[in-house]
Amino acid sequence: MQRGLFLLLASLASATTAFAQESADQQLDELDARITRLEDMNQIEQVQRTYGYFVDKGQWTHLADLFAENGTLEIGGKGIFIGKDRVLEYMQTAFGPDGAPMGIITNHMQFQPVVDVSPDGKTGWLRGRAFVMSSGGWGLPLYEDAFVKEDGVWKISRLSGPFTMYTNWEGWGKNALNNTWPDKFDPPPDLPPSTVYLTYPAYYIVPFHYPNPVTGKVFQPSPGEAGAYHRPPGTPEQEAALKVGRLVDGSQPIAEPPRD
Amino acid sequence: MIRASSIALAAAITLSSTLVSPPALAQDNVAARIAAYRERVERLEDQVAIENLQAMYGYYFDKGLWTQVADLFARGGTFEYGQRGVYEGRERIARALLLFGPEGLGPARLNNHMQLQNVVAVAPDGRTGTGRWQGMVMLSEPGANAVWGVGIYENTYVKEGNTWKIASLHFYPTGFTDYDKGWAHSQLPMDGPSALFPPDRPPSEVYRALPSNYIPPFSFRHPVTGEEIIVTQPADDIVGRQ
Repeated sequence: MQRGLFLLLASLASATTAFAQESADQQLDELDARITRLEDMNQIEQVQRTYGYFVDKGQWTHLADLFAENGTLEIGGKGIFIGKDRVLEYMQTAFGPDGAPMGIITNHMQFQPVVDVSPDGKTGWLRGRAFVMSSGGWGLPLYEDAFVKEDGVWKISRLSGPFTMYTNWEGWGKNALNNTWPDKFDPPPDLPPSTVYLTYPAYYIVPFHYPNPVTGKVFQPSPGEAGAYHRPPGTPEQEAALKVGRLVDGSQPIAEPPRD
Repeated sequence: MIRASSIALAAAITLSSTLVSPPALAQDNVAARIAAYRERVERLEDQVAIENLQAMYGYYFDKGLWTQVADLFARGGTFEYGQRGVYEGRERIARALLLFGPEGLGPARLNNHMQLQNVVAVAPDGRTGTGRWQGMVMLSEPGANAVWGVGIYENTYVKEGNTWKIASLHFYPTGFTDYDKGWAHSQLPMDGPSALFPPDRPPSEVYRALPSNYIPPFSFRHPVTGEEIIVTQPADDIVGRQ
């Protein structure tokens, strides 16, 4: 009897300890994952913001070092460059050697990030915008970028920056510059653009990497909506707007960059 | 029976204490993990506190609330704006800020100094921090055309007690331009040290705004390589840099 009670109590004690232990470890694992997620989101934002600081001052080598070895870059309609070496070649060929040239300003200020991290903590995404204030005028690239965590460090795995609007200093009420295209300037890209789209005064809705945070539903812009304008569908203004920024064959005409 | 069970209980306790090492180790492990996570959460809280502090600085500065601005600084904190030189301590800073306009924003004035694109780094011990900020500026004053400005903040912060304060604020304006003309046609110079209320020290770095293209040094390390971000300043014949 005594022996039986002793065994019962002993096993009960050790079982309780083991159970509490397992539960504590489990809770701590979950806590670790949540803290890590916050740290990851911070680091991804900082990589994107640092990218902007490097663009501002032509720091192409530092910029290329933000990319994973096989990371890709696609800006405007220029096409896709694969690997950090080609990213560096693109920047240094198209925009000049490393450094901030006298007399010009090329600010690409990085605002309004929406960041997400995959459940396994290895992939991240950021939607953001650059507010471009430059000697040539104003610009609004939008970003949908992807990031990869390698050895505890977040790197850019895909930088994708389609243009929303570019204009000279006169402003978007008077002037709009259209997209770039693969052979507009050297060097040629490794792959053609991932999508053909229209910039202001038409518009293109860059697909969102996240669902609506309230409804949880994925929003998919209709391709038919691209090129809509500021009047409701069916109105003459909207019909006319569909032709603004397009040639007869539906492609996008290209304006010369500003001379100033 | 009561006695028997209390003996059994004592035995069980003895047993568990003789087998103390695994649970105690686990207990230590739990305590260590909680301590480590507390540190990490505190560093995140520190970062948010610094980001709020700097954003608040901007909102006060916009409206010429100089007393509020000066109170954000640590004792012995420094304030440096472009080439105006360095002012040290809250009282000196509060007076120096009058160089930017009257206390409270005057009529027909706009003094927006936006605090954007934050990259904040908190020291592992949570006592100090650094922050780089994109500083877009929109100015107007009576009788003058409106002005756009751009520049970079490179600030340091210190936690005194449990409160984060500005240890040093260094705004490097890198360009000002007339609103109508734009960067290609208008490149306005920065103000130098005031003769009315001279700074405590000359500018810590001599540079000029556009048409030069000065690169404010980076306080933080390259987020991927982990190395110091070294930049080469553009040649400037007036500053005397090759």
